[in-house]
Amino acid sequence: MSRHARDDNVPLNADATSSRDLALEVENLRTVFHTEHEQIHAVDGISFNIRRGETVGLVGESGSGKSVTARSILGLIESPGEIDPASAIRFEGDNITEYTESEYESIRGDGIAMVFQDPLSTLNPVYTVGNQIKEALSLHQDLRGTAATERAIELLEEVGIPDAARRVTEYPHQFSGGMRQRAVIAMALACAPEVLICDEPTTALDVTIQAQIIDLLMDIQAERDLSILFITHDMGVIAEVADRVNVMYAGEIVESAPVEPLFAEPKHPYTRGLLRSIPSTQTSGDRLETIKGEVPTPNEPASSCRFAPRCPKSFEECSEVAPIPTAVGDDPDHDAACLLYPESMTTDEAVAHHRPADDGGEQ
Amino acid sequence: MGADTDVGSGSTRTGEFREEASRPEGDRDLPLSERITRNPGPAATWAAVVAVLIAAEFGAIVSGLLSVPPWGWVGGLVPGVVEPVAALLATVAERGAELPTITSRSVIDNTGYQTPSGWEGTTLGLSPAVAWALRVAVIYTYSFTWLLVGWWGYTLYRRHYRIPDWTPRDDVVNRFRRHSWGLFGLTIVFAFVVMALFAPVLGPTTVDQNIENPYENRIDYYNDETGQVESIFVGEANGDTQSRGQGDNNVGPLEYDQYDRFHPFGTLPDGKDLFTFMASGARVSLLVGLTSLGIAGGFAMVFAMLTAYYKGLVDLGVVIAGDSIQAMPQLLFIILASFVLSDTWIAEVYNGGLVLAILFGITGWPALWRAVRGPALQVSEREWIDAAKSYGQRPRVTMQKHMLPYVVGYFLIYASLSLGGVIIGIAGLSFLGLGIEAPVPEWGRAVSAGQPYVATQSWHISLIPGILVVIIVTGFNALGDGVRDAIDPESDIGDGGNENVAAGGGA
Amino acid sequence: MGRWEYFLKRVLLMVPIVFLGTTVTFLILRVGPIDPAAAIIGPSGDTEAYAAIRDSLGLDQPLWIQYAEFMRDLLTLQLGESWVVVRGQSVWELVGVYGPRTLWLGFWSILIPIFVGLPLGFYAGLNPNTLADYIASFGGIVWRAMPNFWLAVIFVSVLTQSDALFGFSWGDWLVETQIVTPPDLSGLWEPTQFLGALKAILPAALVLGSASMGNEMRIGRTAVLETKNANYVEMAKAKGVPGRLVVWKHMFRNALIPLVPVITGEAFLLLGGSVLVETVFAINGLGYLFFQATINGDVPLVGSLMFLFILLSVGINILQDFLYTVIDPRVGYDGGA
Ligand code: SF4
Repeated sequence: MSRHARDDNVPLNADATSSRDLALEVENLRTVFHTEHEQIHAVDGISFNIRRGETVGLVGESGSGKSVTARSILGLIESPGEIDPASAIRFEGDNITEYTESEYESIRGDGIAMVFQDPLSTLNPVYTVGNQIKEALSLHQDLRGTAATERAIELLEEVGIPDAARRVTEYPHQFSGGMRQRAVIAMALACAPEVLICDEPTTALDVTIQAQIIDLLMDIQAERDLSILFITHDMGVIAEVADRVNVMYAGEIVESAPVEPLFAEPKHPYTRGLLRSIPSTQTSGDRLETIKGEVPTPNEPASSCRFAPRCPKSFEECSEVAPIPTAVGDDPDHDAACLLYPESMTTDEAVAHHRPADDGGEQ
Repeated sequence: MGADTDVGSGSTRTGEFREEASRPEGDRDLPLSERITRNPGPAATWAAVVAVLIAAEFGAIVSGLLSVPPWGWVGGLVPGVVEPVAALLATVAERGAELPTITSRSVIDNTGYQTPSGWEGTTLGLSPAVAWALRVAVIYTYSFTWLLVGWWGYTLYRRHYRIPDWTPRDDVVNRFRRHSWGLFGLTIVFAFVVMALFAPVLGPTTVDQNIENPYENRIDYYNDETGQVESIFVGEANGDTQSRGQGDNNVGPLEYDQYDRFHPFGTLPDGKDLFTFMASGARVSLLVGLTSLGIAGGFAMVFAMLTAYYKGLVDLGVVIAGDSIQAMPQLLFIILASFVLSDTWIAEVYNGGLVLAILFGITGWPALWRAVRGPALQVSEREWIDAAKSYGQRPRVTMQKHMLPYVVGYFLIYASLSLGGVIIGIAGLSFLGLGIEAPVPEWGRAVSAGQPYVATQSWHISLIPGILVVIIVTGFNALGDGVRDAIDPESDIGDGGNENVAAGGGA
Repeated sequence: MGRWEYFLKRVLLMVPIVFLGTTVTFLILRVGPIDPAAAIIGPSGDTEAYAAIRDSLGLDQPLWIQYAEFMRDLLTLQLGESWVVVRGQSVWELVGVYGPRTLWLGFWSILIPIFVGLPLGFYAGLNPNTLADYIASFGGIVWRAMPNFWLAVIFVSVLTQSDALFGFSWGDWLVETQIVTPPDLSGLWEPTQFLGALKAILPAALVLGSASMGNEMRIGRTAVLETKNANYVEMAKAKGVPGRLVVWKHMFRNALIPLVPVITGEAFLLLGGSVLVETVFAINGLGYLFFQATINGDVPLVGSLMFLFILLSVGINILQDFLYTVIDPRVGYDGGA
């Protein structure tokens, strides 16, 4: 599975991850929605990257801005939403946020494809499944007619749909939930993308089917050396699929780390809360914990820690200073945005580290 | 709000009603009357206000209620026994009408004449236009007060007497309160209903005097040439105040005629007052519309319950029956049926209004039924229906108790939409000279009368009725939209095949 | 159940509907409180003529025989003849004269809204909450609240006096036409004739289509708004389908589904509404003929015409189901109607 892919790669230090190894790089992405009364900073300055052949997880509760991130990458943000011009999303060396709509069309599918949450509603009910796969084939592989049909059948077989030759002529409503998601994946594969964004691809499915779909995605990734951005609210799924994880909260990435250290030593109080809410990590008998409260709507630029109202560890400065991502411990890949870090400093020093420069802080 | 000092004083928040005044726990299981006895303050204040409102219009309310049934016809049905009673009730109704009310014509009188020294005959010597406007203002103020008092009563009930703190219906009400398009519709519809209810006193003159029996009534006027106050038959006066497009033959909106009568909407081609005609026509339209909706709605709801409960063959049967009725174009069917029934007793009730109502009712139910069939089917699939079935509840009770309340809301949406359609339909028929018999006012007849003069200075005759129809139908549609969004904010019903509910058979 | 089986079932369902509708017509005309012979002959008729009419209509026979003959004649399309309106003329000939005018009117009053209302609605839906959207939406609401007969009256008056009112003569514009007259439908293949016939019917078609236009605009708008936010549209974009193709392939056809019943429903209303509009514009079509037949007591003609109307509406119903079946593959699945 994909985890090996990374092991084959160059060592994990910042210099080695030259842009050639990066499939996608998101830098300081801000997506703002202008509503009548306020501006919603749905994605508020996040940065992360995906290396070739790697699966990166983006995890958080609903409302944390995960899906907006995915749509921002694909250029699907429409008025009243807007991507801040200072943001950069680099794909194959280009900053695609500067693309025009037609330039964007040329990388959608081909370069970056996406699998959505609800397979029923992502398939157009009035066209056959085959028609919709062939649409992608004709757009990206220049296949038409019988060649396209044959390829579509192959793809359906590849994603594990039995009797594909017949099913290719059927309509979405004739498929079961799991089969539909397989069909959607086949459609994404028909584009032959380099990066695949999976936005909660298993949430709408039964548990057993979830496992099958995840296995399918992992197999496909191994075969095709795909880079995957896997979005979910489910820590359990993340543990299974991801190489590296970014934890998102209220439009910001609060912690990012390779998967093992993240699960072994979560640093950010929010990540710890999330992990405590997975059934499997509980010792038996304990009540399943949930983090009380809801994700706040980020309707103004951050001037404090957005997690403070729900944070068990919050202290006075948490509502005055907005924490910035800071390396925790020795692993250079492990960051958290919390005033408690860096651990090596005293609290006052740490707060000063996070305070914006013009406020007299050191940065 | 006066006496409710003990409970929830001062904490009246208009926006959020979940904030409840504290209720003693012991009140939980008492019947409403008991709950009121325990805490009579708010209810008493409210009742006092209502009593004042009723007292202000007592005569009109009594006569209004009693004059709805067609007594002459009822008496004729069973001569001997019923006849004297009917006659008595009819007299009571007439007497009641004579009691003074704040909105009666005699309180603010707008009929009079202008002598060189000023206005004679009108209240306080006001000009007829001002006096009339004042009366209209009083009527509408009075009516809207009722609306507010009704709403206030509901909030009192909700705060002080209702057992649960919150019910799902509260959300519906709150959503509607924030729906400005729906509120706009409600205002228009309410204004229209008031126009219909108060038609006899809203007009500058009365239907009897001006329209139906102009040669039995006389009016006084000041003759400039002789310098005398003279009297004339209304019919003769009307002859001089015609609106026929050319030259002096026009009395437009907001004008006086030479007999010092004020015409807010101008006059008809035969010199009668258009406003009086319209107000009375509103009453006819509304009455026929509501009756037909009652009939259509009754069929639709019963069928919706039956088809949703039994499904299968019952459903198929109603589909076929409904489609068969709809296969005959509604307007054509009504034209045909009203012709066939034209010589029967039923055609005489309300000058043909009853026949119209029945015909619109039996041709209208399939559309309504289709509209509520979906929601009814939906609710019939719910677990609680199965539960009720499983413990042996009788089908009728299940339908009434567990299914009907859910569907009623949807019915209201389409009732509102289709009422506008029926009003258009009735007007269309009377435009053709069918339906409501002349001289009883009906809007379509005004459009028809004004047809030759649309592009002349007498444009008001056709134009004003048409514009009023547009406003009212828009109002009903808006109200329906508002109710829909309040009941089911997610849904998109009302779009799609059901739009034609509102079309009035293409009139 | 497959789609076409579903369609077949719907078609079969029309048989009892035709039957039942015709039976109701029979009940109204023959069992209702009027005496067809008396209605035909009017107040002045003599007893001899009266008896002759009764005899030739078979009114003295038992009711069930009358019913059987009535149904047999209509179902075998023997529509009989007119007794009052055009005495002795066969109904088929009358339909041949009056029918084309109604068809011509109906054709344009369905077509104009589709080509005006739908694009406006789609445009409004693609550009929601713009000024154009507000104008279109509000206009649609008011436009469909206007009574047809009233609109017709206004159109007639304004157009006949357009010269005096605006200094522009509608009657003389392009080709000379009358406003209140039946359209001349001869020689439609010649451009001027066609233009003349179209221009003559245009105001009436606009009026008759007014409600449809408003409805189609409104529903077109919501349908587009809904499909625009549908996930499959996002998916289509995500797989790189160009914007134009997204609109035409993935939005248009889905948005059409809720519009099918609206459009066919309009055709229904048209049958009823034609009475008023044809009367105001003096078009002398089927609606007008039906109205004349009714008020003149031409009972046999009324019955035959009603039967034709029933056939027409059933035909429209079948067309609607056909369109549904073609456009929406989900039809018939889950027993959905
Ligand atoms: S900054 Fe403060 S409130 Fe925010 S996570 Fe850290 S400790 Fe909690």
